Amino acid sequence: MLESVTLERRSGAGPVLNAASFVGALALGVALSLAVLVAAGVPTKALFEELVVQVFLSPAGLARTVTMATPMMFGALAAALCLRLKFWNIGIEGQLWLGAICATAVALYDIGGPLRLPLMMVAAMVGGALWILPSVLLKTWLGVSEVIVTLLMSNIAYLLLQHLLFGAFGDPTFNFPTSPVFDDAERLARFGWGDVNAGVALALVAVAVAALTLGATRFGFAARFVGDNPRAALALGFPALRVLLVSVLAGGAMAGLAGGVIVAGTEFRLTQAVGLNMTFNGIVIAALARNTPAWIPVWAVFIAGLNVAGASLKVFYGVSEGIVLVAQGVILLALVTGTFVTTYRVRFARRGLA
Amino acid sequence: MTIAVTAWLGAMPGFMAPLLLAALGLLLCERAGVLNLGVEGVMALGAMVGAAMSLAGWSPWAAMGAGALGGLAVSLPFMVAVIVFRAPQISAGLALAAIALGASAALGRGASHKPFPGLENMTWGGDWAALPVVGRMLFQQDAVVYLTLILAGLMALWLMRTRAGLRLRAVGEDPATADASGVDVQLYQFGAVAVGSLLIGLAGAYLSVGGSNIWTEGMVAGRGWIALALVVFAQWSPIRAIGGAVLFGGAEALIPRLQAMGVEVPVYLLSMLPYALTIGVLVLMALSKRARQAEPGFLGRAYIRQDR
Amino acid sequence: MALRIGGASKSFSDHKVLDAVDFDLAAGEVHALLGENGAGKSTLMNILSGIYTADAGRIEIDGAPVSVSGPAAAVALGIGMVHQHFKLVQPFTGRENLHLAASGLPVVPPRATVDAQISELVIRSGLDVALDVPVARLSVAEQQRIEILKTLLLGARILVLDEPTAVLTDAEADGLLSLVRDLAAQGHAIIFITHKLREVISAGDRVSVLRRGRMVLANRAVEDVTRDDLSSAMIGGQDVAVTKRAGARSGADLLSVSGATVMDGGATFVSGANLTVRAGEIHGLAGVGGNGQRELAEAVLGMRPLADGRVVLEGHDLKAASVAARRGVGMRYIPADRSADALASNVTLADNLAATAVRTGALGRGLVWPGRIRAHAGSLIEAFGIAGASGGARRPVRLLSGGNAQKVILAREIDGDARLIIAHSPTRGLDVAACAYVHDRLIEAASRGAGVLLISEDLEEILALSDRISVISRGRIASTADGRPDRAQIGDLMLGHA
Repeated sequence: MLESVTLERRSGAGPVLNAASFVGALALGVALSLAVLVAAGVPTKALFEELVVQVFLSPAGLARTVTMATPMMFGALAAALCLRLKFWNIGIEGQLWLGAICATAVALYDIGGPLRLPLMMVAAMVGGALWILPSVLLKTWLGVSEVIVTLLMSNIAYLLLQHLLFGAFGDPTFNFPTSPVFDDAERLARFGWGDVNAGVALALVAVAVAALTLGATRFGFAARFVGDNPRAALALGFPALRVLLVSVLAGGAMAGLAGGVIVAGTEFRLTQAVGLNMTFNGIVIAALARNTPAWIPVWAVFIAGLNVAGASLKVFYGVSEGIVLVAQGVILLALVTGTFVTTYRVRFARRGLA
Repeated sequence: MTIAVTAWLGAMPGFMAPLLLAALGLLLCERAGVLNLGVEGVMALGAMVGAAMSLAGWSPWAAMGAGALGGLAVSLPFMVAVIVFRAPQISAGLALAAIALGASAALGRGASHKPFPGLENMTWGGDWAALPVVGRMLFQQDAVVYLTLILAGLMALWLMRTRAGLRLRAVGEDPATADASGVDVQLYQFGAVAVGSLLIGLAGAYLSVGGSNIWTEGMVAGRGWIALALVVFAQWSPIRAIGGAVLFGGAEALIPRLQAMGVEVPVYLLSMLPYALTIGVLVLMALSKRARQAEPGFLGRAYIRQDR
Repeated sequence: MALRIGGASKSFSDHKVLDAVDFDLAAGEVHALLGENGAGKSTLMNILSGIYTADAGRIEIDGAPVSVSGPAAAVALGIGMVHQHFKLVQPFTGRENLHLAASGLPVVPPRATVDAQISELVIRSGLDVALDVPVARLSVAEQQRIEILKTLLLGARILVLDEPTAVLTDAEADGLLSLVRDLAAQGHAIIFITHKLREVISAGDRVSVLRRGRMVLANRAVEDVTRDDLSSAMIGGQDVAVTKRAGARSGADLLSVSGATVMDGGATFVSGANLTVRAGEIHGLAGVGGNGQRELAEAVLGMRPLADGRVVLEGHDLKAASVAARRGVGMRYIPADRSADALASNVTLADNLAATAVRTGALGRGLVWPGRIRAHAGSLIEAFGIAGASGGARRPVRLLSGGNAQKVILAREIDGDARLIIAHSPTRGLDVAACAYVHDRLIEAASRGAGVLLISEDLEEILALSDRISVISRGRIASTADGRPDRAQIGDLMLGHA
């Protein structure tokens, strides 16, 4: 079908082409997303107001955006830490739910006395890490694809969440499948600015630790080699297996912490809706940040802003929140298609010559 | 007890058919080397389109056809990204899932929670239909159930016994060798993903038009992911996919029956069964050299002729 | 003549790979083609199978000039290639592979016809092989038979077998040789590429030898040539004195490999190899590629386990040591495949240069600041004259040319702590200037007291640099008693009959 066109892998694309393809793809994705919003009934004139002013420039709107961005930063770390080692974590939600479940268990069973809140966060990380453990073990020992295993584990986690909400964790005084509300000592501190809570500080610390570890330690150095060329890493004497295990478990722990921060920071209880779509959000933000931790806060705020705007578009213009999902999907698709420009070179063969 | 078993077995094919349809669609994509993680969203879109068309007065068959076409239409950007531009299949598939899920929610708001007449069951087989226990399962189902089973058989025959099937499998296993034998790799991938998307869309449409006769957001409820697991469980064989769909669909049909009988069962723990079984199968496959070959060798990777 | 190639020449960017080569082949004969790696055999065969177009020369089939414009044209002309790397879909059965190949014919015959043709071919050619089990479950020799069946099914009358015995056991090779004789007896014309004299004598009717792009011995009847004719034609005529390195001295044994056996997936790559490298010495290990060099190098470095034997470096018994531990006592590695085994191509130049220093902790044990890595890189870029780094050390290393990429590896591996440097084909694919640079650095390292194990397929390189020379052939290492074999002796050792 494409006989006259041949593709070659590029040996390298310079920084200019790299940046241009990223910006171009992002611009295309955003433009298409805006077109979708307009087609869905949002007046063109209102776009700037709703998508920029209301979510980033007004104090209340910005507070909503930052609140929503908090767990997203963890979700994006969960995607990026794994992806840097070419490990596809398609089960961020599952790890998040386990984190939320473990944190809730610490709260409901009143474990840890005065250290309960820190313990909840630690439990969340342990839960998330344990939930990703089978996939990384199966991959390294047996070569089983992590894509399917993380996905399946995520579905199992959701069923476990429901099992607990309709059973052991359920609030007997309430008809909905939610846990009882947490005590004050089980809640992350707020700063008097909307729902923004200490979780955002935790997220920024996590981002900083990840950036420092990856950028300025021997572990991070080894991770660059293991992620790019495991054979070369092996020949250089880097502990490839350990680096992979540690990075992936850290990713799982970050996803778990996302769950912990949601239940202890904003919801104050466990519900079925906790962290929905976090796998997708995390992967979109990681793709925008190009798996670089330092960029994650910026793009988490961007994606959170889109979601916050979606909620208000629903109220004012009757536009479904599904539109936000479409917009994110379009942006991601444009970004990954844009990598074509930097990966391949197109050659047009002249016919008649062989 | 007999009545309960009869009812369970009678309901099972209705649960089996959408899983099998979606799994067959995915199987076709994966046999051509394309991993389609958009399946959950494409099913959702098919369900919504089927419902909307039914509400618009279309016949159930026309509505399901529209659902299938909807599945194809929403998959087109994915196909172009992955097959022409060699975009990474996993992220592109997740993007497709998001686009299709979002679009079904956004476009289907007018169709939500409105019942409509759906597909009728067939009654055939004469006196056989009155057989105890299995009569209802075998002879009182809608036509899609029977057609899906026939389709699985035809697909197995086509893949294993025809030259085009051989070429399609070669594309998914070893595109370089296929290319060297004159097979147009991209054309076969386009065809496989297009037909696969039609089937996945149809699977979704059957959920609303053939099953519940109503559409609500989120009604696919993870069945796309189960179908994805089912393909692995069936080791990429359409015939084994029938067995897997019977097992997974049977488990799904069992739970409401047990609840209706007043049996206290851990519903959600039982629902984990398909996922847990699939992980078990993955481990067994990895341990057995022969089974490991079942997975298409080039699944999820991008081929360009330079690699030949 | 079934095939005649006249005056074939081919250059790649000023480098003449084939220089006016003549070759002919008759129906019913086996024509053996010998030559070292890089002698031009593959290029010649790629021209014949339509992958390359010759710059000059002509091809005649059955006396008529033809143009082999592409792989499909070659098939249509009745030319069939059996490559060293089989082009078979592994999970498919042999029969499915044959059907797939047949479906690429211009006029696709019905399936039943293809099946009938297969049955007939199996009977006629004597290529007896299980056709209805997945190819992956067949032995290499059986897969090779399916490859040969494939070419016959596509109508090949001229068969090119590219080092077909390299992957076979001796017994399997004997089976193949008699099969090749049978095919010739049925009227096929066969080009048999090999390194092994035994095979030339037992299966060949005529023999030709390529060296450095020239046919140095053309179209001679096998009865008329001696073993010495062939090995001197292959290796080169004049005998140059070994070791031209001025001031070469050698101290005590630095590395001692004894009884080393390396196995993988049931195959033995290295068996009972003994080798020593002394301090201040360059020890050349010559041999045709694929005779266990890579496996030996990786086992010495610790990337592969030793099934048997010992590796001792300066008194450290390293049999069970990790790669990190071996590097810790001064082992360094320059692998043959730069991009696959040495460089992380998407990682920055600075990081690639710093990999050894970072691992040992030379750039800091706790935090390793990017600034220190870049400063370290800056000094190495200057010291080793790494060009193309103008965009800075922060750019991915894949943007560098081959010669500069090799300098990156040299700069990283030949550091102050290097005691033993394993250099595998360190000049492969480099231009003359870059080759000289690499050689100078290796000599410099040896004169500083390090030991160098130079593994190379390039005999000139081995002869020019080495203090002592060994030869590896089919996983066994051999040399003369004084460790200084001459060209003829090396040729004998390489051909595996010394």
